[in-house]
Parts: sequence; C-alpha cells; structure tokens
Amino acid sequence: MYGGGNVFEATKFDDLQTEDPAKLAEFEARIARGEKIEPNDWMPQLYRKQLIRMIEQHAHSEIIGALPEGTWITRAPGFRRKMAQMAKVQDEVGHAQLLYSAAETLGKTREQMLTDLINGKSKYSNVFNYPAFTWADSNIISWLIDAGAIVNQMANAKGSYGPYSRALERICAEEAFHLKYGHDAVVHMATGTPKQREMIQAALNRWWPPIMTFFGPSDKMSTHTETLMRWKVKMASNDECRQQFLDMYVPKIWELGLTVPDPNLKKNMETGQWEYTEPDWDEFKRVINGDGPCNAERLAVRRTAEERGAWVRRALLNPKAKYVKPLA
Amino acid sequence: MSLTSLDPRVTRLNLPEEAPAIEPKPELDQFETYEAFHQKKEGAAHTYVGPVHAPNEDVAFLFAKEQYSRRFPCVGLWIARTEHIQVTPYAGDGENVYEMMRVKEPTERSEEAEAYEIFHLKKRGKAHTHAGRVMATSYQEALQEARQAFGEKGPIVNVWVVKSKHVLQSAEEDKDMWTTIPEKKYREAIAYKVMDKITKYKEEHKTTAPQ
Repeated sequence: MYGGGNVFEATKFDDLQTEDPAKLAEFEARIARGEKIEPNDWMPQLYRKQLIRMIEQHAHSEIIGALPEGTWITRAPGFRRKMAQMAKVQDEVGHAQLLYSAAETLGKTREQMLTDLINGKSKYSNVFNYPAFTWADSNIISWLIDAGAIVNQMANAKGSYGPYSRALERICAEEAFHLKYGHDAVVHMATGTPKQREMIQAALNRWWPPIMTFFGPSDKMSTHTETLMRWKVKMASNDECRQQFLDMYVPKIWELGLTVPDPNLKKNMETGQWEYTEPDWDEFKRVINGDGPCNAERLAVRRTAEERGAWVRRALLNPKAKYVKPLA
Repeated sequence: MSLTSLDPRVTRLNLPEEAPAIEPKPELDQFETYEAFHQKKEGAAHTYVGPVHAPNEDVAFLFAKEQYSRRFPCVGLWIARTEHIQVTPYAGDGENVYEMMRVKEPTERSEEAEAYEIFHLKKRGKAHTHAGRVMATSYQEALQEARQAFGEKGPIVNVWVVKSKHVLQSAEEDKDMWTTIPEKKYREAIAYKVMDKITKYKEEHKTTAPQ
C-alpha cells in the first residue's frame, strides 16, 4: 500500500551548478545506460534528498495505512476474513520495515524518520487521514487504495535506486494478494443482499474523493521535475498514474452495477483520456497539513506504541552496539 | 478532552487530543542492523534479502525469518551483523570488480587461516549471492583467494566478505521450522476467484457501463 502524489517541491539543492560536473556526467551516464545506483555511489544532493523524502513517506504510509484496516481485524465477519485481514496488515508493517531500511542506506536514521513522523514533520499518504466507518470501508481500502498503490509501485520499481527497487519488487509480489483479497471482499458485498450492496456503495461514495486525490495534483512541469524524471526518481506523472488507475478499475466498479459519485466521470473516446470533476485540492492541502478527520488519532496511536515500547527497546539494547547503516 | 475514535479500543487509551513534540530518539533506539540471506530451495545458493534491526543475532534471526520467509518458500537463513561485512568498491554493470581493484596489504592477520564467506553481486539492483567459502588469515587474503577460486568468470559488480564465525546459519536439524502449514492459502492471490460471481451477477442484472 502506498500513498502516491509526491509533490516534489523545489529545494535549496536545486542548483546543480554546485555539483562536480565530471561526477554528475558519470552519474547521469550510468542512469542513461539503465544501470542502478547503489548506496556507496556518488550522487547529487538533490537525488539523495528527494529519494529519502519519497521512500520515507512511502514507509510512513505503510505503517499508518495499517491502522484503519487493523482496527477491523477484531470485527471482520468470520474467521477466514480475520486471518486474511491480519495477514494483510502484517504485510503492510513488513513493507514499512523494508522501506525504512532502503531510506536508511541514503543516510537518514530510522530513529530520525520515526521522530519526524510523530512530530508531523514528514508526511504519509493523505487518504489514511480519513476514517473507515464500516467493514465495507475496509474492503474499499483493500481493493482500490491498494490498486492505486500498485500502479505507483510498479512504476517506481523501475526507478534508478537499487535498494528501493529491491524493496519494491518484494512489496509488489505481496500486494498481489491484497488486491485480489480486496476485490473478492467487494464482489462479495456487491453481489450479496440489498443491505450489503447499500453498504459497499456508501463506502465507495465516501472513499471516491480521497481516491481521486491519491496520486496528487497535476505536476507542474518544471526543469526540476524533468531532472527527477531523467534521473529515474519520478517514473510517471501524477496524472498518468491517475489515468492508468481509472482505466483499470472504473470498468471493474461499473460491471458490479455500482456507481461512481462523479457525474462528470467518463472516458473521452477521441483523446483516450478520462474526464472527471477536479478533486478538491484545497481540502487535500488542508487535510495533509493536519486538519483532517483522523490526523490526530493516527499520530497519537503511533506515538503511544513508540512510547510504550521504549522501555523494552532500552532493556534489550546491547551496550556495545555501534550504528552502521544497512548495506543495500 | 481526550481523543475519541470509531475504534473503542483507541478511545479507551484516553490519549490527549494534542501532545507536545517528542524529543529526538536516542541513538540505536531502533537497534543495530543485520543483513539476511535466504535459501530459496534445497541446494540453491544463499541470496541477500535485506536488513533487519535487532538487539542481537538471535532476535535478528527471528525478525528476518518473519520478515523474509513469511510469504515465500525458504529452506535456510543466514544472518550477519552489518559491521562484520567488508564491502569492495562497486564496478559498473558488465565489469569485473576483481580486475579493477588493488587489494591493500592486510592491517591484521590471524595466526591461523580461518573460513570466510564470499558474496557476489552480478548486476546492479540485483541481490548478492553466496559464491563460496575460502580459508585465509585476513579479509584481504580472503578476497585474493576468492578471486582465484571463483572471481575469474563473468561480470562481478561488488563483493562482500564476512568471517564464517560471524554468520549465524540455520541448522540442518532445524529444517522443520520452514514447513509452512498448507491452510495459509488465504494469503495467496490464487485463493481468490471472483470471476464466477461477477459473471453470474452480470447475467442476472445485465450491468453495463453508463454512457
């Protein structure tokens, strides 16, 4: 599961003039040849900084994304669904572990990333700031949020940074189950009793607006974005990801006789592009900056887990341990 | 006011709605790192799967087993503390790093030769794979031995060298720990078959896309 929608803000490292031109040329040539970059290679500061930011946000999204589904484990209808929901949540937390390690190879410690998450300094996917009211909400998350995540992750797995690609390969393999599990759960509700259909339609109506913001606002095509695309940090534009998602999943929603709560949603057969009502980006900004229905709860739960486990970690710590960043 | 949630268990925690920023965590709050290598099937070479954070080797083994063998076939697992692994420079794809590096004189030697495990990375972005074991009195000598023993053929982008005594290896007699119970089909994509339900629903309701 992954929050896409990376808004690549310009940073003070934008100026490539400060980089060694010979090393920069060698770095770019390596990427152009299709080779991966490994942790000890020389890399421009902009590359390092944007990758840390992107992988760290991805890791936070996994760990926070496990919360809305996690709360449904005890209330999942039936033993098999409980087991499957548990396995999925366990996968998501495992993905966070893989991603934190990949980000760590770039020089930011896991301690620092977790502190920044709890203090609200680094972001996670905005969709997880919305509540899962019913079991049907949990099903829509399992199916459509994971579907969005897969679109994003498949693109990013082809990126240039070795440790991130390795982590994503494993993650994508595990996500295949999430997507099928989510689809199965939604189909079960949609082809069930009138009450079940009503529940799944209501959940879809609640989740559609956040889903449409999942990939982030349209990219401003700047030299900054072009640089990141040339370096294979950003692999597809936010709009390309959104179009691909609509292409793959809107027909699957419609074939179940469910409706999408956007009267303007249709595929323009001439352009081949989906047309839709522009998502409410003001709300998106407001929620991502802290003012959403669940922001406080998500961080408070995370914070409590950290605080309550602190004594265990202190008691287990080997006094002779030294910090060494992971190798790959 | 304490935080109220849709989940009663969260509400019962009585968490404050707002809390002051936390202090930066102490160093190694998340423990040191270990690197894990799994064996996919009987007779296959151990391959790098990724790191884990743990307070000691045994816990690292447990974490790695959970993290890396939970979902895919695995019949063996090796663990080595990251700081015990020596890493050569990285060459480009298609190159052989053994031919490009000058091995330095060792700064320390053991009195007797001991065993070292050698791992090769064949292509950037792929995973290091166990090439074999050599006997040597230093990391540098181990690297030279490795070059002669299995470094001549094909591209090798990077080499990891670690003393065998620093690798915790799952034991032959514990093989049964890798046996997964077959009732875990619910976490395989293949266990979910929805097409029949969808087809039946479509036939009964003639659903079509809105125009």
